Amino acid sequence: MNQHKKINYSNLFQSYGTIIAGLMVILVFSLLRPDAFFTVRNLINISRQISLQVIIAIGATLIMAVGEFDLSIGALASLGGVIAAKMSVAGVPLVFCFLAPIVICFVIGWINGWIVTKFNVLSFVTTLGMSTILAGFTFWITGGSTVFQNIPKTFSYIGSKNLLSIPYLSIIMLVFTFIFWFVMRHMTFGRKLYAIGGNVTAANVSGIHVQKNKKLAFAICGSMSAITGVLMASRLGSAHPTGGDSFFLPSYAAVYLGSTVFKEGIPNIWGTFVGAAILGILANGLTILQVPTYIQDILTGTIIILAVIAQKIGRGAAQ
Amino acid sequence: MLLQTASISKQFNGISALKNIHFEIEAGEIHGLVGENGAGKSTLIKILSGVYSLDSGQIIWNGQPVEIQNPYQSHQLGITVIHQDRNLIPSFSGIENAYLGLDYETRNAGLRIDWKKMRRRVEDKAVDLGIEIDFSLPASALSPSQRTMLEIVRAMMTDCRLLILDEPTASLTDKESELLFDTIQRLKERNTAVLYVTHRMDEIFRLTQRTTVLKNGEMVGTVLTKDVDKEKLIGLMTDNWTSEKMEIRKEFKEMLLTVTHLRSKDQSVRDASIDVHSGEILGIFGLGGSGRTEFLECIYGLRRIEAGTVLLENVELKNHTPAQSLKSGLVLICEDRRGMGLVTNLSLKQNIVLSTIDEYAQIGIVNEKKELSDTKEKIDEFGIRTEGPNQPVSQLSGGNQQKVVFARALLSRPKVLLCDEPTQAVDVKTRAEIHRLLRQLAEAGSGIVFVSSDLSEVLSVADRIVVMAGGRTGDHIENDGITAEQILSICYQD
Repeated sequence: MNQHKKINYSNLFQSYGTIIAGLMVILVFSLLRPDAFFTVRNLINISRQISLQVIIAIGATLIMAVGEFDLSIGALASLGGVIAAKMSVAGVPLVFCFLAPIVICFVIGWINGWIVTKFNVLSFVTTLGMSTILAGFTFWITGGSTVFQNIPKTFSYIGSKNLLSIPYLSIIMLVFTFIFWFVMRHMTFGRKLYAIGGNVTAANVSGIHVQKNKKLAFAICGSMSAITGVLMASRLGSAHPTGGDSFFLPSYAAVYLGSTVFKEGIPNIWGTFVGAAILGILANGLTILQVPTYIQDILTGTIIILAVIAQKIGRGAAQ
Repeated sequence: MLLQTASISKQFNGISALKNIHFEIEAGEIHGLVGENGAGKSTLIKILSGVYSLDSGQIIWNGQPVEIQNPYQSHQLGITVIHQDRNLIPSFSGIENAYLGLDYETRNAGLRIDWKKMRRRVEDKAVDLGIEIDFSLPASALSPSQRTMLEIVRAMMTDCRLLILDEPTASLTDKESELLFDTIQRLKERNTAVLYVTHRMDEIFRLTQRTTVLKNGEMVGTVLTKDVDKEKLIGLMTDNWTSEKMEIRKEFKEMLLTVTHLRSKDQSVRDASIDVHSGEILGIFGLGGSGRTEFLECIYGLRRIEAGTVLLENVELKNHTPAQSLKSGLVLICEDRRGMGLVTNLSLKQNIVLSTIDEYAQIGIVNEKKELSDTKEKIDEFGIRTEGPNQPVSQLSGGNQQKVVFARALLSRPKVLLCDEPTQAVDVKTRAEIHRLLRQLAEAGSGIVFVSSDLSEVLSVADRIVVMAGGRTGDHIENDGITAEQILSICYQD
């Protein structure tokens, strides 16, 4: 037992390297712009900025845990936002405006999973196709233009208001992170997803319903995308037919970055949270420093690659 | 002396895997390497082949100290390893596989690949070694023994001075093994050194001149094989542990599993029937390609069935999935434990409870206290050598991995346990433990189906024996005075 503890200490940097790097980023920004960066107001601001990214990346984490890929999350978010906005314009009660996209995208996600598991199609290809289909639908519904006229004021409430000066969006993000951390860590569903992701044949032989669990993972991922889209529409008070697309790549960046946190190489919820947070903090800090966005992109991409390389090197040394 | 190791040592996470190994092998020698699971055989091989670097000590090659830091350097010296899990690219032809790691032959100033020349060179080499396989076929179309032969051809394409064979006969039938032994003898005559790693003692005595014994990462010694016998050698490996003879039963309780005229969709199983009683160990013996593995997979619901019935306690299983089989009390232990048995990146604990995870949960939330205590109990019960319940199973030795597979199977309280080669690549002691365990399970009322390509093992364990050949099963024979020759004669009838 004693020996076991020692090993943990020696692996400290390897296990928490990404977090340490994240803290260093915060430190640097704080030193450079103490007046603007490290303030309560800005931290709250950051938490709102990353909230949507975290929520959608949680869905992507489930998909990655099960060893698949979902390229349609951006298109699902766009669709979700547009459906909610359109329904609210039509005068549908707000609850249904928010619930309907979540249910619809759950079904679409389920269909993704069904195609992948039933016909053994690569999820990469399936969801690429689905993404294109959804983009077409969204364009059809909206005629290609942003939905913003006649949206009731109450629609924007949840996306823009605070509870005791903390944005609802940030609270929702934390609630989802906690729930899914619990699901993935302490519930059979999460265990089964990790088993399937680790060795799908062995999971099947061990009596795990591979197809059912995969479909459920895709469906939940669809719902999380829809929630992101709806909240985005609520925050902006409008819905753009490609508004969710920009979430897609950063989501996987967050998951990959996150898989370097805590557990080596395995997608996990708090890791994804930290990954999205690091990306958000970078964007925020660099903007405060008035670094042009194209330089931000270059830096962000470099950091993602370096984090993954650092982890691989760490693991190699450990063996 | 071709190769010597001067007191090499290797540690993992502060635990010694190899300590002060003084090993040597001469050119033209067939040298056996034996030891229980976890004795350090694999570690030694991996150091020689450059997969692991050593912590201390030295490797001396042809009298010169050398450093082997990666597989390429090892290969450059002339060391080739042929593993249990073969390193071939399934979709590549035999010729392409033989040329893996070599520059392809070219013509027209290197612009075109000279397939003819490549084929000729590969085939010449094969003739030279007395190996007959069709090199135009993709590796996936070859039988296990042919794949081993293909790997030997590949090893010999370059100047291989030391060939390391790791459990080469694990998935071969007796007849295929004979072919392999001939080839090994031919290599010896060509002055190639062969390091032969196996759990099968008969092969050690048949092939080797000297044998090195490892135990718990330390070297027990190197002996002249002709100076020792089987008991002596096993004694060196295990501190003079002796095996016990199993008792064969003739009377059983009620019928548990009846399979009649089963045919698989892919026709690998054509017409197979068995019945298994409570309290019985039914042995299925079949050569490679007899459909024995596929048969078990059909029963378990892993492979599609075209015709026939599976009755478990008089209830028919139809279009069943593994999950359903498991729920009704039918459990399969796969031959391929790394590929199909375990989720190797997950912990011991998570693997052990994998099949029964739902029983540990209420409204989907896992009771982790019970999970942990049950795991610890199983670790003790099976004597699994591990750092603890949270160690990834990938870090366990083969025998301990198999114990994890068994622990998981037993947690689901099987009525009928289907075991496919459960003692493959497992040391003699674990093997006997598994045999005893199966007998205990049978005594407690389960029915056991025991599939093996090791005839002597089937004869020593099974109460009744079914011979399988060409996807068909024969009669149930009582294991009472029947001899190996009689069984084999049934196999080779057609």
